[in-house]
Amino acid sequence: MASFGWKRKAGEKVSKSVVQQFEAQDDAGGHNEDVNWLHAIKRRKEVLLEDCAEKSKRLKEEGSQLAEQGRHWEAIKKWDEAIQLTPENPLLYEMKSQVLTVLQEVFPAVQAAEMAVKLRPVWWEGWQTLGRAQLNLGEVDLALRSFQVAIHLCPSERTLWQEDLEWARRLQKQELATKEKTRQEEETKSQILKAPELEQDYDFESDEVLAACVAVAERQNRYEELKRTAVVMDSEGNIKNIVTEDGGSEDTAAPSKEQFVKARRL
Amino acid sequence: NDTETSLLEKNLHQNLAKSYLLSHDDAIWTAAWGKSEADGTETIVTGSLDDMVKVWKWSDEKLELQWTLEGHQLGVVSVDISHNGAIAASSSLDAHIRLWDLESGKQIKSMDAGPVDAWTVAFSPDSKHIATGSHLGKVNIFGVESGKKEYSLDTRGKFILSIAYSPDGKYLASGAIDGIINIFDIATGKLLHTLEGHAMPIRSLTFSPDSQLLVTASDDGYIKIYDVQHANLAGTLSGHGSWVLNVAFSPDDTHFVSSSSDKSVKVWDASSRACINTFFDHQDQVWSVKYNSTGSKIISAGDDRAIHIYDCPM
Repeated sequence: MASFGWKRKAGEKVSKSVVQQFEAQDDAGGHNEDVNWLHAIKRRKEVLLEDCAEKSKRLKEEGSQLAEQGRHWEAIKKWDEAIQLTPENPLLYEMKSQVLTVLQEVFPAVQAAEMAVKLRPVWWEGWQTLGRAQLNLGEVDLALRSFQVAIHLCPSERTLWQEDLEWARRLQKQELATKEKTRQEEETKSQILKAPELEQDYDFESDEVLAACVAVAERQNRYEELKRTAVVMDSEGNIKNIVTEDGGSEDTAAPSKEQFVKARRL
Repeated sequence: NDTETSLLEKNLHQNLAKSYLLSHDDAIWTAAWGKSEADGTETIVTGSLDDMVKVWKWSDEKLELQWTLEGHQLGVVSVDISHNGAIAASSSLDAHIRLWDLESGKQIKSMDAGPVDAWTVAFSPDSKHIATGSHLGKVNIFGVESGKKEYSLDTRGKFILSIAYSPDGKYLASGAIDGIINIFDIATGKLLHTLEGHAMPIRSLTFSPDSQLLVTASDDGYIKIYDVQHANLAGTLSGHGSWVLNVAFSPDDTHFVSSSSDKSVKVWDASSRACINTFFDHQDQVWSVKYNSTGSKIISAGDDRAIHIYDCPM
């Protein structure tokens, strides 16, 4: 039978003795060599993975050192490089989120922390960092939820109870009080504009008109008083309405910002 | 025995779970299944991160919402039902333990357990007391009638995550965040055994119905079985890929069930200690798993807000 193919043709160029020698060698060590090759490929892959992990770890530590020195953006650059190498490491995202919070990059901070808890949902520290980032963004309800998840995972962690949860609850209380005040203000304002006393009948007897005017004036006073006060919270967390110097509705938002700076300083 | 097991497995596979998705507005952290002594009706109580306690009626193979109980200011960590099926207890991150009348859906009592001092709640077998763990390693016992703390058992250990009474009323076991198990003699209040069970938090433990065995679940991914009287380790079970969050014994002593952060629910044979079935119905961590009073059904609930009810062959 005529045989053809590239193997035979290639063999034609080598002398018979060399082929025999080669085949003998092949028979002797063929199987082992095969396995060795597979191992070598596996090993190369492992080395590559090890390399990535090693390098990522080094970058992580370099970033930490930079962050400690206050070189926050440089730290983030290092960690971003590390994330390229080991994209599944939640620690990198969590640290990045902390530094982004320091830099007041509020939205990216939340995104980074969200990635951390997605990768490792049972890690309480990830939830704590997410909660703090959410608080920074003004999302008090979401922050309160994140802190509760963190506590549920690790209830023995005192800072979660005493600082994080406590602050989020206070801010939520204040937010509710501010909302309630705005509602009251609006209600009073709308009553000034359409006084119920004047809508009932139109015969305009003098005593009725007088009474209506007094009622409107009273409401006007109440409205102005409401406008002059702001919702603040004392150190025990009690909510009070206090009279401010120059009034104006923009003032109602200011205290919550101040509160927040305090929260961050903790 | 092998064919028996495989037959059981087949049965379990053929019975599909009943699923109630979005039962709460947020993660469900706890569930309990009780039966009324008065009229035999079956009640399921769930507690959630959404601050709500919900009471469900289980009848004609259907789950129906009966009450949504408002009152807790923060997430509900643990619920239990009294053994006569009349009262539910709930504990929350707001540090309060509340008692609810299951018939009327009204709050009976609200007890301030003190900050960080209300975690797992468990009714005593006579339902006159409720036990809960505290952060200083004390087991506080509240009177159901008085609504006050009556006494406490001191483990001198760390934060107590899990509590269980033995059905015969003799023992109380607690599991701590550092993996230590303590067993108390209730009559004398003495600490009988301290077991270095796991190196990680013990989120759940349960006695067998004959009070002979104690099963513990830990973040280390293992389930351990102890012989209560001699405090011997009788077995270590592996199978879950992550934290084991809850364990419950079937009332007929033959099986127990576990749930995990790996999103699965596993049914184990109590004598062979082999896992005979795994349910993958949840999309997220499964925080709670319980049997009904006969052991014919299992309920599971978790972070995905879903409640699943499975049939178990008797």
